[in-house]
Formats: sequence, C-alpha cells, structure tokens
Amino acid sequence: MRNTWAVCKREFKSYFLTPVGYVLVGMVSAITGMAFTLSFLTFAKITQSPGQYSYATVPDFEETFLSPFLVFCGILVMFLSPLITMRSIAEEKHRGTIELLLTYPLRDREIIFGKYLAAMGMVLVMLLPMAVDVSIMSYFVNVETPVLVFGVVTVFLMSAAFISLGLFVSSLTHNQITSAVLCFGIVLMLYVIGNMGGDLPKQAPIPESWPAAAASVAAPAYVLARAVLVEMSLDAHAKEMAQGLFQPKDVAYYVLLSAFFLFLTFRSLESRNWRR
Amino acid sequence: MIHVAGLTKFYGPIAALSDASFDVGQGEIIGFLGPNGAGKSTAMRILTGFASATRGTARVAGFEVHSNPLEVKRRVGYLPERVPLYEEMTVKGFLRYVTEVKGVPRMGRTAEVGRVMERCGLGEIGGRLIRNVSKGFRQRVGLAQALVGNPPVLILDEPTVGLDPRQIVDIRQMIKDLGKEHTVLLSTHILPEVAVVCERVIIINQGRIVTQDRLENLAGPGASRTLEDAFIQAISAERREEG
Repeated sequence: MRNTWAVCKREFKSYFLTPVGYVLVGMVSAITGMAFTLSFLTFAKITQSPGQYSYATVPDFEETFLSPFLVFCGILVMFLSPLITMRSIAEEKHRGTIELLLTYPLRDREIIFGKYLAAMGMVLVMLLPMAVDVSIMSYFVNVETPVLVFGVVTVFLMSAAFISLGLFVSSLTHNQITSAVLCFGIVLMLYVIGNMGGDLPKQAPIPESWPAAAASVAAPAYVLARAVLVEMSLDAHAKEMAQGLFQPKDVAYYVLLSAFFLFLTFRSLESRNWRR
Repeated sequence: MIHVAGLTKFYGPIAALSDASFDVGQGEIIGFLGPNGAGKSTAMRILTGFASATRGTARVAGFEVHSNPLEVKRRVGYLPERVPLYEEMTVKGFLRYVTEVKGVPRMGRTAEVGRVMERCGLGEIGGRLIRNVSKGFRQRVGLAQALVGNPPVLILDEPTVGLDPRQIVDIRQMIKDLGKEHTVLLSTHILPEVAVVCERVIIINQGRIVTQDRLENLAGPGASRTLEDAFIQAISAERREEG
C-alpha cells in the first residue's frame, strides 16, 4: 500500500513537472466551461418558449440538460485519456527508467495500481472545473440528487475504463505517440462499433436461397453478434446511467472493461519474467 | 553472497549468455570484464531481477532471483548502464522517492537522503533538476540511488563510462571505499580500472565465462604478464576454439 502510494505520488507529480498536466487541465476547463454555458443558455431559451423548440411543455431539466452534459464530459475524457496514459509506461521504457523501477523492491501490482491511481487523480483534477460549474448550478436549480450523483459516478466509471485501456496500451510500446494513437484508435473503434450495431437490422438478413439448416445456425448467431455489438458501445451505457437509471449491466460494463485491461496490463508487465 | 549456476539467456536464436557460473563472496569487489556485447549487462540484468534467464539459477544472499525477486531486490543496489533517471525531478526529490520505494522508514528518509548525497558528493546540487546536471553528476546520482537503503550487494554496470579522467578517479575511489562495507560486482571493459579497484576478475566473452581468478594470479608483480595480455589471451583462446 505504501509503495503504491509512493509510485502514485511520483507519477502524479510528474504530470505537473512537465507541461502535460497544465495543458490538459486548461483545455478541459475551457471546453467543459463553454459546453456548460452554451447548453445551459439553450436550456434557458427552451424554458422561455418551449413551443419554438417543438416541446409541448417545459422539458425535464435533468433529461435535457444535466445528463447530456455529464455524458459529454465522459466522452471528453474518452478522447483525452490517451494523452493522460500515453506516457505511463511507454515513457519509462523509452527513457530506460523502467530498469530502475523494476529492480526496486516493488510488486507489479504496486507499480500498476500506482500508475493507475495517478492517472485517475489526473482525471479528477481535470474534471474539477466541471464540478465547480455543476455545484454552482445546483445551488440555483433544484436538481434531483440521484441523477447528479449517479451522473458523476458515470463519468468516473467511464474514465476508469479508458484509463485502464490506456495503461495497457502504454505497456505495449516504447513510444508515446504509438501508445496514444493506438489507444485513441481502440476507443474510437469501440465507440463506432456500438453505434454501428444499433443501425444493423434486428432480424438476420438471410437470403431465401440458403438451406434451412444453415439459416437456423446463422440467424441466432447474427442476433447474438448484433447484441454484443450494441452492448459494446462506449457511450450507450453512460447515457442510461446518467439519467439516474441504475442497471447492474451498465455499471458492470465499465467495471469489467477496467478489470479486463488492468488484467492485460499485469500480463504485459509480467511477460518479462516468462522464461524464454 | 552471489551464486550463479549454469545461467543461460537467449534473445531469439542468439545466446547472450551461455552456461555461466560464478560465485562472489561477501565483501569482495569483483570486476566483470569483457568486450562490448559479451553478456555483462545481460548477466547483471538477470541478477537484479530485471530480465529472466532462459535456464540456470542465480542466487543473491541465498534467495533465488526468479522465485524470490522481492527479497533479492531488497538486498541489491543497481546502477544500470545508461544511468536512466527521471529528468524532470530534482536530485533530492528523486532520491527521496527512492527511499520511499525501497521501504526506508518514514522517520529515517531525510537522514538517508542526506547520507547518500554526502557519500556521493551531491551536497551542492540537491535542488537542481536532473535534466540539467552534468554527466559526472548524473553518474553520482545513479550511484546514490543504488546506495539508498544500504543494500549489502551493489551491482554497477560500467560506472565510469563517459566520464572525464578526474571523475573516473573519483568514482573509482568511491567504489573502492564502498567495497569495505558492500559486496560489489562491477562491469567494465576498461582494464586499468579493474587493476585499480578489483580483487578478483571474471572475464566473459561471447556469453561464456572464460576466466575467473584473483587479480594477482592473472597479472601484477608476481605474474609474468600484464592484465591486458591475460585478457587478450582469454578471449582469443575462445575464438580459436570456435574456429
């Protein structure tokens, strides 16, 4: 525990000993600030004259403003997480400091969790300006607490998943750029695949000419594949959660994604000890 | 203190180390000698738990490196060849971090940082960024981090490479002093260095250990040849065998 903390502390500090930390925090506070203001103003306009925006009555505050804003923050983290984690392990390899790190009396888990926590800490600092926006807002507007709390938890869970993915990718390479691009690509692919899955027809488009036996195998396989694709979507789960809708499968999705990539990171770091 | 038996390491089809066996007793300063690419760094990386061996065993203070890496790492201070350091940290901040990860108790950390800095002559540059210090000081910072926690075994991979003559003399003296309290395994391809610092020499060539003996038996006043002769003879005998 003490060692994890030591690794985490050094890692976190180094975000702010280099410009990375400041640039990220600055960018995110600017972007979330703008998004917050713009969507808040839009919501204000809607409440003035709902008819103009094709609403019958004043729409629900949480549903039209708060949840989409929180999901937006999560997606912002999704696009920036490769920049947070690209250096985690790749930089150590590139500079050779990995040779020090791995010869200090540290367990692999202390190294990995230390780096993971530091990156998560970085995400928290990055989202601090957003938290300020939201808390000022909740002073003036009566927000449904479960929606707010669960929405913030959603952003946090999403971040945890992206960070563990990034950490794994960073452990594969010596080059920070490769690490960032690869991580970004995987994130984007998961994002696109999910939306694509939703667009596929629900029924299997199996040609009439196929024999019955082949069709009876292909149809369930298609339905299953489509369901998997739909569930793989990085943001669909967040959208449901951010509305205050608690479903175990949504939470499980992000937790399992984190656990899976952390597991792969362990194997990746451990592979140096495999007797070859 | 160090016991190596039948250590073999393959990188793909290339054997970086084949069937190496040697022992290092407590308090000895051993020179690990060989041409570039002979397998010195590979052997040291295995001993420090950074790399794994394909075959064979390596023990430090009775603990096997592969099956008990933490115990070994607690007892070994390691200076890697290229002296990788966290460039963005200050010398003091970095050494402080090393005391934390090496498990120096919280109360003793400041004292420990002070001790290794004094030992390595880093007193004046504690507040400088590692990025900005000279090569000689980098080497000392590397040595200082190896000394943190006062490990009984020091493994130093080419500690004097790239230094100016004055710095080389300083570092050698430092290593000699360290040998009074620590077991030191030191790799180099600079022969005079071995003659000045070490008591015993292990010569390695193309992954094989070709000679190991006390320095005075290989060269020096009693022997009829110089260390250079002994070295050339050792590595060329190997070549003839292959040819």
